Amino acid sequence: MADTLIDAPASRQALAAAHAPETSWRESATGYLFLAPWLIGFFGLTLGPALVSLYLSFTDYDLLSNPRWVGAANYVRIATSDPKFSAAMHVTFLYVVLSVPLKLAFALLVAMMLNRGLRGLPLYRAIFYLPSLIGASVAVSVLWRQVFAGDGLLNQALKLVGIHGPSWISNPDTALYTLVALAVWQFGSPMIIFLAGLRQIPKDVYEAAEIDGASRSQQFWRITLPLLTPVLFFNVVVQTIDAFKAFTPAFIISGGTGGPIDATLFYTLYLYQEAFAYFRMGYASALAWVLVVIIAVFTALSFLSSRYWVHYDG
Amino acid sequence: MSGFALSRRSLIAAGIGGATLAGLGGLPAAARDLRLRMFWWGAKERAERTDKVNQLYLSSHPDMTIASETLGWTDYWARLATQTAGRNAPDVLQMDYRYIFEYARRGALLPLDAYVPKALNLTDFSPAAVDSGKVDGKIYGVSLGLNSTAMVYDKGLIQTLGLKEPVWNMTWSEIGDLAAEVTKAAKRDGFTGMEDGGGNEPLLEVWLAQRGKSLYTAEGKVGYDDKDMTEWLAFWTDMRKRGASAAPDVQALDRGEIDSNLLSLGKVAMTFAHSNQLVGFQAINKSKLGLSTFPDGGQGAKPGQYLKPAMMWSVSAQSKQAEAAVQLVSYFIADTEAGKLLGVERGVPASSAVRNVVTPTLDDLGRAMVDYISLISDKVGALPPPPPRGAGEIQSVLRRVNEQVGFGRLTPADGAKQFVTEASAVLARG
Repeated sequence: MADTLIDAPASRQALAAAHAPETSWRESATGYLFLAPWLIGFFGLTLGPALVSLYLSFTDYDLLSNPRWVGAANYVRIATSDPKFSAAMHVTFLYVVLSVPLKLAFALLVAMMLNRGLRGLPLYRAIFYLPSLIGASVAVSVLWRQVFAGDGLLNQALKLVGIHGPSWISNPDTALYTLVALAVWQFGSPMIIFLAGLRQIPKDVYEAAEIDGASRSQQFWRITLPLLTPVLFFNVVVQTIDAFKAFTPAFIISGGTGGPIDATLFYTLYLYQEAFAYFRMGYASALAWVLVVIIAVFTALSFLSSRYWVHYDG
Repeated sequence: MSGFALSRRSLIAAGIGGATLAGLGGLPAAARDLRLRMFWWGAKERAERTDKVNQLYLSSHPDMTIASETLGWTDYWARLATQTAGRNAPDVLQMDYRYIFEYARRGALLPLDAYVPKALNLTDFSPAAVDSGKVDGKIYGVSLGLNSTAMVYDKGLIQTLGLKEPVWNMTWSEIGDLAAEVTKAAKRDGFTGMEDGGGNEPLLEVWLAQRGKSLYTAEGKVGYDDKDMTEWLAFWTDMRKRGASAAPDVQALDRGEIDSNLLSLGKVAMTFAHSNQLVGFQAINKSKLGLSTFPDGGQGAKPGQYLKPAMMWSVSAQSKQAEAAVQLVSYFIADTEAGKLLGVERGVPASSAVRNVVTPTLDDLGRAMVDYISLISDKVGALPPPPPRGAGEIQSVLRRVNEQVGFGRLTPADGAKQFVTEASAVLARG
């Protein structure tokens, strides 16, 4: 039908032109079809909501009424007059600064121990990895509460040696450190990566060093650590991002309050409170975007600094 | 020709398939029209009772289904707000006095006046009970039961210790003395007579009302000043110092639900809650529990407590089967058989007919609650103005400031100043 409307030579020309793209379109259609689950997920569940939240961050939105455009007011408040934002920032930075190095040091230590040709290595590896598998779960946070409560496991153990411990999780001086301990305990995934990294270091380098009379600690600082820096770098970046986003432990242990006295008010917990306890979706969205920027800055700094301490040459 | 035959056959096949599909699609569609979604907060005890009422209702409505969903208090409001925003609100939802104004004024709830009396039977409701679900003169909520604030105490323990049980006319300082005696007599590590009520908003509200003040004014501003709050925080500082109420690191274990309440954790003998919660408390406490009023204001004080709907049923404005939803609501609040199943777990029934049928069937616990409500009926004040926008946050500010004072970070006077400043800022922000 369409052919009758267009004169023949022109349509033939168009066909010729269209021919090549059509095959490639078909090929790529197959590709896109296979990609579809991911694409739908990315656009529908990640990018779409992210863009909506970017819009909402410029509004006053309580879920029940329509969003009201307020310009940059939310961001201005975050930057100038939100004491809880600073409190949450303080808690979160302290958590990142303490938990990431401690966790990585612990992971490296265990990885080096496991790297010494242990019999039954897969079993040990699995056992050490276990806490990370269940670590972010609600159940473990509940367990943690039992361990560190006033009459919890830890204090009962301390009692045996005559020490009367405080209620660790409900004391503002110690609550955050129990969460740091929980994070360090979940050293499994960086440990596995370290272990893989350690396996990559050629044995003959150590043999040569030994012949030259290098001590164990010299070998660690001069060989192991430098050769492990690419892996270390990866772990630092991933763990830092994870630590900034930590939510479940604080939510469960403080019952969503961030208490006592905001001692466990993680940034994400504050964001959650604003959104789902006080129904300030607009403000919470702005907080979320500020967190995105903070994480991006820290990741960028890690990458920029990496050229000074990460060695990619064998 | 064979090609044609084939295509004709496949056409017929397609036709049959299509008809089957339409049939399949048609049936659930019809059933879906009578599917009601019901959403409420509460724990196991309430779930069992609610479920039984739904089953009973369905036995006389066979072409209908009820999808009933429940969550804890905090998560409930997060989910309800999200579903409402997503145009996916449940048909029948449990509503609280704290939120009904916000939901009704933003058009999220259906005004029920047009359904009275045919679909919604409020004949046996007192005018006050009907009014408690009104916003701007229209009915948006139907009371599922009356309750009031109440002290829940460990009757078994206090009797064992040979001490006097709390009674309604004991003043704040008398209750404080009793708590100190309980601490001394119990001689248990980390155990005190009473919870630290300094961070408890309903308790503060009663204390303020006895002084002629309120949490919020009708204009939505704070209804107290630095002086009131200093006195309040100092009272609880003294209570902690005397060992009458819980130490701050013990109090911090309380996360605002029955199962983390210090009474349930075995850390105190007296706690401040709501009368309908007695059922929930008793369900997880081995010792026998009792119910008493909040402390008395003493000579010349105004009434501090008030009766309020413990919770209400509301119908979503988004509901596509509003009529059926309203009928279900009516069944819950006006049918005597439903009333027997529900008991007083959601509060004492507002309908006098239901109350008369339910009262004789109650166990000790239920009777204690009914007795409590009748005991305080002539001692209560009027329902205060509803909490303004942002009020939810003030609850957590009060808790934090009381912790700051408790852990010695602030003096009561400084704590008071900070609380008033922060609370005013929250209300101004909304």
